Amino acid sequence: MAYLTTFYWGWLLASGLVGFAMGWISVVQHGNGVSRKLRWWLSALVAALVGAALARVVPGRFGYWLDLGLIMFALYLFGCAVGSWLRGWVVSRSAPPA
Amino acid sequence: MHGLFRWSSKWWPGVIPLVIFWAIAAWTSTEPLEIDLAQRSAAALKDTILDKRRISVAGRDVTLAADAFSEDGRQSAVASVAAVPGVRLVDDQTRLVPEAKPFVWSAERDVLRVTLSGSSPLPASRGRLMDAARANLGGVEVVDRMNLSRGAPPRFDNAVLLLLDLVGKLKDGKITLSDTKVSLSGMARELGGREAIVAALKNLPEGFSVAANEVKAPPYIFQAYKDPVALTLTLTGNVPDSNVHAALVAAAGRKFFSEKVVDNLKASVGAPAGFANAAVSALGALSRLSTGTLVVSDREVKLSGDALYEAAASEIRGGLGKDFPQGWQFKPEISVKPAAAPVDATVCQQLFAELLGKARIRFETGKANIVADSAGLLDRLIETALRCPTANIEISGHTDTDGDEAANQGLSEQRAQAVADYLVKAGLPANRFSAVGYGSTQPIAGNETDQGKAQNRRIDFVVK
Repeated sequence: MAYLTTFYWGWLLASGLVGFAMGWISVVQHGNGVSRKLRWWLSALVAALVGAALARVVPGRFGYWLDLGLIMFALYLFGCAVGSWLRGWVVSRSAPPA
Repeated sequence: MHGLFRWSSKWWPGVIPLVIFWAIAAWTSTEPLEIDLAQRSAAALKDTILDKRRISVAGRDVTLAADAFSEDGRQSAVASVAAVPGVRLVDDQTRLVPEAKPFVWSAERDVLRVTLSGSSPLPASRGRLMDAARANLGGVEVVDRMNLSRGAPPRFDNAVLLLLDLVGKLKDGKITLSDTKVSLSGMARELGGREAIVAALKNLPEGFSVAANEVKAPPYIFQAYKDPVALTLTLTGNVPDSNVHAALVAAAGRKFFSEKVVDNLKASVGAPAGFANAAVSALGALSRLSTGTLVVSDREVKLSGDALYEAAASEIRGGLGKDFPQGWQFKPEISVKPAAAPVDATVCQQLFAELLGKARIRFETGKANIVADSAGLLDRLIETALRCPTANIEISGHTDTDGDEAANQGLSEQRAQAVADYLVKAGLPANRFSAVGYGSTQPIAGNETDQGKAQNRRIDFVVK
């Protein structure tokens, strides 16, 4: 993993930034998000993919692509979390006290 | 925290550009990554001795195929690749180099090239052997057909380096090392090559031994040609050393009294045992021929030419082989020279005087035994006697003045009789000869000097 991050930090940074932007937007975005049920399914899918990656059951290039995708996705989630939390903090500070 | 969970349900649209990024990253990065990992893996194996190494990378998985020379080496190679940063899995397709039993190595030399085949223990020693072969065999093409195998005996390299040196001494042939047994066959490059190879094989490393040495050397040749027209005896070919050389030339000078000795001999090692004795005996036989060629090839003596009369021919055919050391072969091709025209007694006397003027019949010191060197002269005297069958001949013995007169008288008689007996034995009628001893009473030179004494010690043929 350390090798991949040093090798492709540019792509990983980009994933993080996309996540940050998405997180930033999501705080003030109107409309419905993903349903609770679908969210569980997606979480299960991601967990299964992580499990496959850790168990190294996917061979060759597909295995590499899976690893790459999961790392990018992890940074995306991290970016989202940071973006949302920061936006939430900004919004709560600027809103007049109720 | 609850907010973060709520907001996360709206994070999904960003997955679309993320997937696009991911696709581009996968598209552009896979090949460079694979090349980088292949290079790093190869670098990690730099100090590990492997044969037929192949590294292929798919994603981050490395397939390592190689032949290792020990189980430790094999495991350490796999571990080295697994430890390369970025490598996810190592597909281990390594195996141990097959063990050769027996461990056979060979070098074969023909006219054009030297082919090294069989087994070699390690790539490094294979390279060293090839380098040594090229250096030793200067200019000859060296073909490498060696395989790498395990199971080489200890000190294999040293033994093979010595054997490669021996390949340089062969004109053609094969040297095989099977475990620790060396077998050699073929033809040595030069005279004495076989002996040099035998000597070098004594330096084989401990534990190695010679199973078979069938290396042959070129024949050791000595030739003598007696030319009756030019009156020369030409000696060509090889002699073992300067002592034998001098002895042969001296013997030729004694035996060939009317021919000039042309000495084209050269010293060379590799003479068969008993060479000097056989060559001297054979020269003695050649001296009895009117014209002839002597070829000594290894232990085979070929003598061809014309004897002066029939009895001499059969004596040479039957007698020479007996003088040779054991293991020598004699192949005579002796014919008889056509008898010369008869002459009258006066001419006969002239011919006797002419022959005895060139050389003397020689005896052992103080005895009446004719020495072998005089056989050629006696044959010519017999041939002359045969040309005047009606003449009676007095064989007169003379001595110098040294010693007791009575003893000299006796010796001169015995010597004259010995010569007469020799002639009779050769087939001449006994009644034609009378043997007379004159002691020192008829000197032809002064007895004061050794030279004069030598002239006085003589046998004369007097036609009556």
